[in-house]
Amino acid sequence: MKGYLYLFLILVACCCSSCFQIVEEINLSDNGTGTVNLTVNLSQSKTKVASILLLDSVNGYKIPSKQKIQKEMDEVVTYLKNSKGITNVSRKLDLENFIASVSFSFNNISNINNISQNVLKKLKVNAISSSSYSFSAANHVFERNYAHHKEALVQYNKLKPEVKNVFKEATYTSIYRFEVPVSVCTNPLAKVSASKKAVMVRTGMLGLINGKTNISNRITLSK
Amino acid sequence: MNFLTKLTLTLSVIFLVTELKAQDLQRKIPSDALVVATLKGKNMLELMSTNEFNQTFLGKKILDKVSRSTKSKVSQVEELGFNLSADFYYYNQGNDSVSYHCLLAPVKNAAKLDELYTSSGLKFNTAGNWRTYYNLDSTELTRWNENTLYFIKGEGKTSYLYPAAQTSIGITDTAAVAIDSTVVDTVAATYDTTEIQEPAVRKTKVTKTKASGAKKKGKVHSKKRKARPVRKKPVQIKEEEADPTEAVAMADSVAAAPAYGMDNGYSQQLALKKRAIAKCVQQKADDFVAKGESTSVLDNKDYVKSIDGHAEISVWIAGLDKLIGGYMPSNRYFDGKSMFKGYGSVVAKLYLEDKNIKIGTAMHFDQDMADIFKKVNKRKLNKKFLQYVNENKLIGYMAYAADTKAYLEAYPKIISRFYGSAYGDEIGMASDLFSLLLDEDAVSKVVKGDGLFIFNGLSQKEVSYKSYEYNEENFETKEVTKTKKETLPDFLLMFSSEDHQLINKLIAYGVKKEFVKNNQGYYELSIPKSPMSLFFALKKDMIFLGSNAEEMAQIAGDRYVAKVSSRHKKMLSNANYAAYFSSKKLAGKIPAEEIGNTAKVEKANKLLNSIGDIYMKSNPIEGNAISGEVSMDIPASQPNALKYLFSLIEEAKK
Repeated sequence: MKGYLYLFLILVACCCSSCFQIVEEINLSDNGTGTVNLTVNLSQSKTKVASILLLDSVNGYKIPSKQKIQKEMDEVVTYLKNSKGITNVSRKLDLENFIASVSFSFNNISNINNISQNVLKKLKVNAISSSSYSFSAANHVFERNYAHHKEALVQYNKLKPEVKNVFKEATYTSIYRFEVPVSVCTNPLAKVSASKKAVMVRTGMLGLINGKTNISNRITLSK
Repeated sequence: MNFLTKLTLTLSVIFLVTELKAQDLQRKIPSDALVVATLKGKNMLELMSTNEFNQTFLGKKILDKVSRSTKSKVSQVEELGFNLSADFYYYNQGNDSVSYHCLLAPVKNAAKLDELYTSSGLKFNTAGNWRTYYNLDSTELTRWNENTLYFIKGEGKTSYLYPAAQTSIGITDTAAVAIDSTVVDTVAATYDTTEIQEPAVRKTKVTKTKASGAKKKGKVHSKKRKARPVRKKPVQIKEEEADPTEAVAMADSVAAAPAYGMDNGYSQQLALKKRAIAKCVQQKADDFVAKGESTSVLDNKDYVKSIDGHAEISVWIAGLDKLIGGYMPSNRYFDGKSMFKGYGSVVAKLYLEDKNIKIGTAMHFDQDMADIFKKVNKRKLNKKFLQYVNENKLIGYMAYAADTKAYLEAYPKIISRFYGSAYGDEIGMASDLFSLLLDEDAVSKVVKGDGLFIFNGLSQKEVSYKSYEYNEENFETKEVTKTKKETLPDFLLMFSSEDHQLINKLIAYGVKKEFVKNNQGYYELSIPKSPMSLFFALKKDMIFLGSNAEEMAQIAGDRYVAKVSSRHKKMLSNANYAAYFSSKKLAGKIPAEEIGNTAKVEKANKLLNSIGDIYMKSNPIEGNAISGEVSMDIPASQPNALKYLFSLIEEAKK
């Protein structure tokens, strides 16, 4: 009997398509403080995720239990709370729609350098890139330096085709909101809002993994 | 004697002689062969002529390779010199140190073979009517004459690591052995002391003397092992004289070992091992030429029973136990335990027929296991299941039937056989406890042991999910709900059960907790976070589970329309295991969004349409053998199974 159930779940998992979204929002104030909100949304694949969670392991990867996922999120929160310059940490975990988000405030944008890498390291995920942020209040320049890790492509190529498919339609969105309008924005992929106070970059995960997309950006704010 | 009788007699004598000649090759296969594979050239030629084969991808590849090696144009496989309408054999034999892979091929024209070797620059020696060619380190040897080609390859077994044996062949660096134990192999042939008579071919006298056995230290190879007593006496092989007139002799890999400064030790050791293997290979080759027909595999009744003139390819494996045992490292953990105890010979045959391709397999067991299987396989599929099979709708099914009660009763016995004598007492107690606690009768009433899973295809369902929208003004994030279509499999599962007490309790519990809904006759089970719902129904001695509400309603209301042809009826009624899959029915049902672009969908559909229906079934146990077969129908447009196979492979390569 159990064999049939397993077979059925695998069938479901194979039939459903899957993709996910990562959204990063940074709200920056004039004095250099601000807030960050990071969201991972698996809702578009929720059928597949729901059936995978019922299994022990899939394709050789061990599937974590719901309690384990919650525990890991709590560990991330603790890590953030203990990080320099980071306050007001909160997290949201929706296990109905499979959306997880973390938000916090920072004193200085440089506090968030290496945050995502370290968080991912805690979750035992290899980071595909590293970013460093800087804000110069004097020059009114906000900069994100994005560096791609070649290792990411190597790791990606090692994955089985079914797993690779998961990344094909995944998207990454980053939104920076400021208190003053933006005058110059160097990244060609970036879109400036109608109010000119927000910049959005939206790209597919695949481009980030293979290093073809660069999301570095140098945003000059008006004085 | 009248003319007709004379003719008949002459013809039958000729026929007998040719049959005997054909049997000649088979006769040469030794009786201790562990695996014998046969390829019937005549059967293949009936399906595809050599001209047609020359044009296939495989034929072209072979001819291309040979042409390049001989630097001349070889355009037909007939030019290779083999008798393509006779039988080709592969066999494997070995002892605990060396494994031999041998090929036997019927030769039509030895001169052609001579020419092929010569034009490829490969030197061979000739003695009498036998030609012999050695590879670089002499662990591979090819020998041929007017009617036979014999190829042998010797491989040292990595599990045999007795240091004393290694010393006898000159290996001194046991430390190197320990470091690289996966690569290192050694040979200690265990021949008996009788002197081998000089074969007509080689003038080398080889005498063997038994060296005194030494106590072996087990520290070298595995941390778990302790000192083991002497099992086999290592043998010293002395080569006395080599005929100086032979143009090409066995390669002396020791002399040839490169004198690298760095890994001199390792290369030397490896070369010594190769030399030992080469000597064994030479001995086998000489035996092959010289020996009479005393012990041949044809003396093995089991093998002879497996010979089938209709099968294009057959593979016979003598006792899984022996084969695996030959390759398993003998260490303390496995001593006395064998997963394969009681499993006898295994046979697999490939039949390429006009309308289908069939692979038949059979496995023999010893009497005890056969009895267990007979009891467990007594139960056949519940005939009432056939009332719920509609072959026009279904894409595939899987059915199994076993007697749960017999299985549970036999379970302790099976376990005790696995553990052998190692834990006899403990197993005895555990099985008694198992039988005491488990009421096999009661369990078998709840789960009788047969089930049928039907795959009815794929259906689309609408599913909602959360996404984000950003207003143009300030890119403020807004969470929105969107919908999309998802493809989910449609299935029906049914199994026999007489005792519904437990499941009734589960249903009542589910209704109370509100994840089970009673829909007048059948029940709906909602799965959290999934667009799928499962439906189930209970009948007097059956339980149904499915993904289609309409179908479940029909079953519950006794309105289900069944359609079963006799082929399926027969398969489902008689087999303990049966499966069927029609890829054609699946073609066209896979929604484009799943695969991506339309070109890929078309390719997938084309492939599915070109594969015929696949049937799998087990046969009732006969004597001491369980057999089964897998067959695939070939499309009507294809002339025969062999040509169809080739066209499938060529299609797949595109």
